[in-house]
Amino acid sequence: MAGLRQKLSDRGPFAALLVAGCAVLSLLVLAPLYTLLSKSVENRAGEFVGLENFARYLSSGGIESAFLNSLWVAGLSTVIVVGLAFMAAWALTRTRLPLTGWVRGVLVLPILAPSLLPAISLVYLFGNQGVLKGWLFGAEIYGPIGIVMGSCFWTFPHALMILLTAMDNADGRHYEAASALKASAWRTFWTVTVPGARYGLVSAAFVVFTLVITDFGVPKVIGGQFDVLATDIYKQVIGQQRFEMGAVVSVLLLLPAMLAFFADRYVQRKQSASFTARSVPYKARADRKRDVLGALVLTPTVVFILAIIAMAVYASFVTFWPYNLDLSLNNYQFGRMDGGGWGAYFNSLQLALGTMVLGTVLVFFNAWLMERTPQPKILTGVFQFLSLLPLAVPGLVLGLSYIFFFNHPDNLLNGIYGTLLILILCTVSHFYAVSHLTAVTALKQLDKEFEAVGESLKASRWRVLFTVTLPLCLPAILDVALYLFVNAMTTVSAVVFLYGPNSQLASVAVLSMDEAGDIAPAAAMAILITVTCAGAKLIQGALRFWVDRSTRAWRQGTE
Amino acid sequence: MTQQTQGSRLEIHGVHKNFGDFSALRDINLTIEPGELVCFLGPSGCGKTTLLRIIAGLEQQSAGQLLQGNDDISLKPPKDRDFGIVFQSYALFPNMTVTANIAYGLHSVGTPKARIRERVAELLEMIGLAEHARKYPAQLSGGQQQRVALARALAPSPGLLLLDEPLSALDAKVRHHLRSEIRSLQKQLGVTTIMVTHDQEEALAMADRVVVMNNGVIEQVGTPLEIYQQPQSAFVAEFIGAMNFIDSAPLNGQRVMVGNRAVDVVRPLPEGKGGVRLAIRPEDVHLLPSGDGDWEGRVEAMDYLGAFIRTQVRLTDVALDLVVDVDPRSARQLELAVGNRICLHLPSDALHCFAA
Repeated sequence: MAGLRQKLSDRGPFAALLVAGCAVLSLLVLAPLYTLLSKSVENRAGEFVGLENFARYLSSGGIESAFLNSLWVAGLSTVIVVGLAFMAAWALTRTRLPLTGWVRGVLVLPILAPSLLPAISLVYLFGNQGVLKGWLFGAEIYGPIGIVMGSCFWTFPHALMILLTAMDNADGRHYEAASALKASAWRTFWTVTVPGARYGLVSAAFVVFTLVITDFGVPKVIGGQFDVLATDIYKQVIGQQRFEMGAVVSVLLLLPAMLAFFADRYVQRKQSASFTARSVPYKARADRKRDVLGALVLTPTVVFILAIIAMAVYASFVTFWPYNLDLSLNNYQFGRMDGGGWGAYFNSLQLALGTMVLGTVLVFFNAWLMERTPQPKILTGVFQFLSLLPLAVPGLVLGLSYIFFFNHPDNLLNGIYGTLLILILCTVSHFYAVSHLTAVTALKQLDKEFEAVGESLKASRWRVLFTVTLPLCLPAILDVALYLFVNAMTTVSAVVFLYGPNSQLASVAVLSMDEAGDIAPAAAMAILITVTCAGAKLIQGALRFWVDRSTRAWRQGTE
Repeated sequence: MTQQTQGSRLEIHGVHKNFGDFSALRDINLTIEPGELVCFLGPSGCGKTTLLRIIAGLEQQSAGQLLQGNDDISLKPPKDRDFGIVFQSYALFPNMTVTANIAYGLHSVGTPKARIRERVAELLEMIGLAEHARKYPAQLSGGQQQRVALARALAPSPGLLLLDEPLSALDAKVRHHLRSEIRSLQKQLGVTTIMVTHDQEEALAMADRVVVMNNGVIEQVGTPLEIYQQPQSAFVAEFIGAMNFIDSAPLNGQRVMVGNRAVDVVRPLPEGKGGVRLAIRPEDVHLLPSGDGDWEGRVEAMDYLGAFIRTQVRLTDVALDLVVDVDPRSARQLELAVGNRICLHLPSDALHCFAA
């Protein structure tokens, strides 16, 4: 039996396009990372020196201080955040408290703020001239306490959203079975609720740990003399211009992030859907005591989040803390401070819009190629790996890699260095993985035979894409667009190495103003960023509402 | 009413399909005549869906040739082939109305607007959903969605209609109704049709010819009656309807030994020296009052299945249980009850013979 040499003639172009997609991601993630890795084993002159740089860093005591500090601060924050988020998710899904919609809204607010905001707010609350300084019993907010508190604030929504997803879809039958078997509420909690959420818990823990250990904003503002890996990279590169040492610390930061990434992938693979078509959604029964308990566990978190935001808002309007508490708009006159002023804000807006448009198009197009066109298995595997890789690469590491890669005189793309374009490319890559996962999930939910039916009706895959696939994916597209916009607006870590004189950014301006001691204008800029993100969220919410309404007939089957 | 489409003839020559080391189809040869309805029938994993997808061009055969009419379509992508397809899930475009779904394929080939309107109206009339033209798929029942999928596939008047388990997502009642509806529609249009199913009843009721498949090969091709009455292998005999199997050893000529008793058979014995598996359908076994027949037995269990009683009888001489279908009237005459003794007669012309 002779095998057929020729292939069905329509497969080639799609594979070629996905190869192009792989090439783009390799250029934007893999190649810069490789340059970074090779930089970490070279000396200043560019000669190969093996692990000498690592040895130098080790002997300078960097491992003991920064590395271990990073680990325990991230570990502690993870325990606190996952604990609080689990309690909050429990209260929101297993009790019949009123106003849970609003409470959910408040609890995810931090996602709209740059991570610098809680740090600044904490300075106002517990700093040397803080209103609640006495509450720390003489302890310093500048250091691990501040970092942990600030990290908890901005990572909380990430953990909460994962846990809510895990716990929203509970099977009511399990609870009915438990109560039919006379299990107490406490035993039901430990034998039904907790096991049902275990994958969510593991995933949330990995996510929070990675976010904290790779975050740069909080420790930069409130870390004081307390070294962590993220600030160490910044110091080595910006402070001392020792790029090869920056690369060494980056590799050290890459290790725990990669480890968390692969561990999470491994655990997720074991997860199977426990909520099947035959499950009955859980509905909490009226239970006064449980409602009170729910309110009790929610209150501290809600108060903490509101207090941090309120403090930053208030501080941004106070004329001169703490001597002149009159409210004014003085701090919003950014032209008078360092950091790029209003120009930086508009640059950020352009960055966010550019990232949103380019990123959404790139992510969806590639995900469509991967999921909905005929592709060799190997190619989809490679592409999936490249798409998820950014999840394991801390922003600072990515930013530093970009310097090494794009600033190299031999690089043909050298010209984009210092422009807004490189910031857009870097931000798209930085947030590629989560967007990719959202797009793939949406595309997987569509009937797998749409394209086959289309071809039998002589419609090209392109026509099916534009007339069927895209309209059906519109909600997911809006979600990805908002995700990219908000993150581009608030991110500091990757872009802090990459902005040029003409492309200063709002989030970086917060940092520079804080560094220059202009902490109130820094708060004002952070609030401005938050309000902009909230505005984007409102617009996206309105669009989704409109999409839902105009497509209700075909989504739900009722007019 | 509707225009008569000329169904095309399809020839499949020596098709193989491998997925890595696994061989999903081996040496498939089959000719389907114009206007015929052929069912691919077999257990899951037998390769029937793979064969359908190869005919559609959705999978590529590892070797072999496909001819539609005089046209070699072996290497053509689906959009250059001439077929309509209905999937188990229907894959209706949920964001389009019934009308837009049916018109989709007509737009592709640039049919004039007025002609599209005409054709859609015609098809809606044909499937009896004219008043639902502006609804979305989610607003229709499963059976209605199925008909829309059928209309969409038929709209460009393809020469070949492929149906991939088209009825298995439906309730039993709707399924029975749609069976005859699809069949009469297909006859009326004369479109050559291939239907994949794992439901033997469906295949026997609808098909002109049934292709029974197992483990990637065709076991038998024949009319429903041939398949049922003259199964060519033990697999087909067992897969289609119910069958009792009795092990025996060849004796001489047309005689075999069951236990220590010689049995005459009419059908040709399998070649070779090995044992012979006799087979007889439950409705072909005759029950007689105790003492009247050639085999003695005892009634072990009786299940009332409406029109007949499925009775399990344990033979006295050989360690063997036979399943026998008895109509209720005969059962009353025989005073059939669990524990009673009974005699059986196995008509020699009803005994099938297979190689053991």
